[in-house]
Amino acid sequence: MGVALAALATFALSGCSGSGSAGDGGSATEGNITWWSWTPDNDLAQREIDAFNQQYPNIKVTYKKVPNADYTAVLRPALASNDGPDVFTVAAGGRAGAVQTFAPYAYDLGPSMEQLLGANWRSKVYGAGADAFTVKGRVVAAQFAKVGAGILWINKEMFDRFHLSPPTTLADWVRVCQTFRSNGLGCLREGVGGAGFDIDTLHSIANSVEPGYWADALAGKRKWNDPTMVESLRIFGEFTRNGILDEGAVGIQQYPDVNNDFLSGKVPMVQMGTWYSQYTTVNSLTTALAGAGVPASTPKVTIVPVPFPDVAGKGNPNTLFADPDAAQAVNAKSPHRNAATTFALWLGGTPQGQQVLADNLDSFPTLNSIQPKWDGIQLVNPSVQRPELEKVTAALQNSSEPRTLGMNAVLQQAVNDADQGVVSGQKSPEAAAAAIQTAADANR
Amino acid sequence: MHSLTPERRRVDPEPRTEAAADPVTHRRGRGDRRPGLPWILPALIVSVGLLYYCIGYTGFISTLDWDGASPEQTGVGAENFVHMAQDPVFWGAIWHTVVFFVLTFSIQVGLGMAFACLLHSRVHLRTFYKVLIFIPVVLATATTAPAFRQIFAPDGALNGVLSALGLGGLTQAWLANGTTALLIVIFVQVWQSTGVVFVLYYAAIGQIEPEIIEAARLDGAGDLRIIRSLVWPGVRGTTIAIAILSAIGSLKTFDIPYLITQGGPSYATEFLGTQIYRVSVALSQVGYGAALSIVLLVLAITTAIIINAGGRRGGRTDV
Repeated sequence: MGVALAALATFALSGCSGSGSAGDGGSATEGNITWWSWTPDNDLAQREIDAFNQQYPNIKVTYKKVPNADYTAVLRPALASNDGPDVFTVAAGGRAGAVQTFAPYAYDLGPSMEQLLGANWRSKVYGAGADAFTVKGRVVAAQFAKVGAGILWINKEMFDRFHLSPPTTLADWVRVCQTFRSNGLGCLREGVGGAGFDIDTLHSIANSVEPGYWADALAGKRKWNDPTMVESLRIFGEFTRNGILDEGAVGIQQYPDVNNDFLSGKVPMVQMGTWYSQYTTVNSLTTALAGAGVPASTPKVTIVPVPFPDVAGKGNPNTLFADPDAAQAVNAKSPHRNAATTFALWLGGTPQGQQVLADNLDSFPTLNSIQPKWDGIQLVNPSVQRPELEKVTAALQNSSEPRTLGMNAVLQQAVNDADQGVVSGQKSPEAAAAAIQTAADANR
Repeated sequence: MHSLTPERRRVDPEPRTEAAADPVTHRRGRGDRRPGLPWILPALIVSVGLLYYCIGYTGFISTLDWDGASPEQTGVGAENFVHMAQDPVFWGAIWHTVVFFVLTFSIQVGLGMAFACLLHSRVHLRTFYKVLIFIPVVLATATTAPAFRQIFAPDGALNGVLSALGLGGLTQAWLANGTTALLIVIFVQVWQSTGVVFVLYYAAIGQIEPEIIEAARLDGAGDLRIIRSLVWPGVRGTTIAIAILSAIGSLKTFDIPYLITQGGPSYATEFLGTQIYRVSVALSQVGYGAALSIVLLVLAITTAIIINAGGRRGGRTDV
């Protein structure tokens, strides 16, 4: 371990071809650095920083969490100035912190990664992530997190109260929701549009209609107005009419409103991804409820991941789709570039960093062979939650189907618009799918 | 209508001569106009250097295809403006702005005048009412938006009240319907800004000569006639100022639709401000966002000129 730490410090001092470097970058083992990101939550970030400081006590890391929806707006002017963060998180695509947008501001971490993990470092990490965060031959960010979707999260207590099992088919789902609604509750609550999580819902439906279609569409091999997409949009559009989706979905915000309602026990189920695993832990759920203004005495809900039902009725198995979620970039103008590099690579490139991230459960590690240590994680209801979490974690680790990798911001917006159109009944599935294809054609 | 009383007119007893005119310019000689320049130069540098440079730079960006961060900028000429002309979301935003302005201006003026007239009469707890009317103005939208989202949610307070009153048939997902979502945005704006209009009218009404009002009462005019014939014309300048501020505010409205509806559902509450933010930030189409900004600036200036000119034709007070 001592050798690894020495290597970690050494690579931070290695030369690079970053743009706009500020001086010699300072010491690799001491300094005050700032880290901006939309993920993780503050309490999880503090655990990661505390673990980092056990090895590097002289590098003080100040974390600033910026909401996903505001991240790009906040980061862009900061990086353009000389007062931007030393470390900033980037995403593989999409509208929040897209690596393509911010690559010009990032220091090339390629040589440092080679020094840390060897010349064959790409074989030791999540391959799709290594590629996603390499822009024009420069490793502009060190990945540290992978997330997936294709599941639902249910409130186990609510299901048990009415003796219900998680739905596995569309008919099941309709019956389950009828039971909840007849007892004055909602069912599936989702904010369609806005933050864009409805894209995962549509993706799950598409997988039920035809597995593999979405990946082909992302790769440009199939059209977005393919009959599979039309059918998927049709099914999604009927969710409200058949009583599955709570009314008013196009007027609700997933964060914070749906999130707070579900975690405080008001809603039976939501569609969210593996990042929700963090709320199965006592600490994270307690913090989330405090942030939502829920009294501390409120009983903590047992949330459990379940497979997305076979809504198309074709017997296609549910699959989890996953993407590189986040990577740490180092600001090329940072006067503390070397200390920043030490931190950035520690989180995603060392067993210590990846273990604390894995145990936080909000993300899956990208360094191969790291798994959550379940015995040390305090779950709200271990006997119920742990088996399901282990299944999801295994599926996430083995997933090779992309989630949104390759889907640029304009295309994401087009899918959001299509979802809103069909859910509100303002667009036919055909028109909605055609609009997605138009956006895809215009923004190749 | 009574004019100003004679003792209040300013009458110069002697004609002005050059020697008795401005002693400064007279001492310094004819045509020397420089003395004021050094005093306004710092402000001039800031306004010209900062403001108009930024406007010019935005105009330059509007001719680019650029994500705002990349060192690569592609010149596209007027393509962003052409795209704008064909963008249904842009025209929807313009329409929403017009509706927003008409409704918020008329309702705020009506309410502001009513409150100001009432509180100029003999009423108890006048100060309390003034504070009550003005409180929404000082509340940050970021803190009130979650409350309004809850109120108008499908399981929110409004639907709860309607159900309790036996009006369950009227309950709906208010923010999921484009028409009601826009009306909610307008309602929140009226709720939040009527206090400012009230304060302006309250001050303006206070400037009207009390003798005029007294004379009208002696002539037998009632309250409504006094308001219609004396007070309303007397606050014309304030009304024009409010119109200009409302128009410009409508053009650049952002916080309420962004925080409550995020411009949805399906762009039903999209305004130029929210569209500029969305295309510039979320979609990284900074060039297009700059083009929208330039159009917003032109519309704001044009609107101010039109309203001011319209006020002149009415025998106005310049603003």
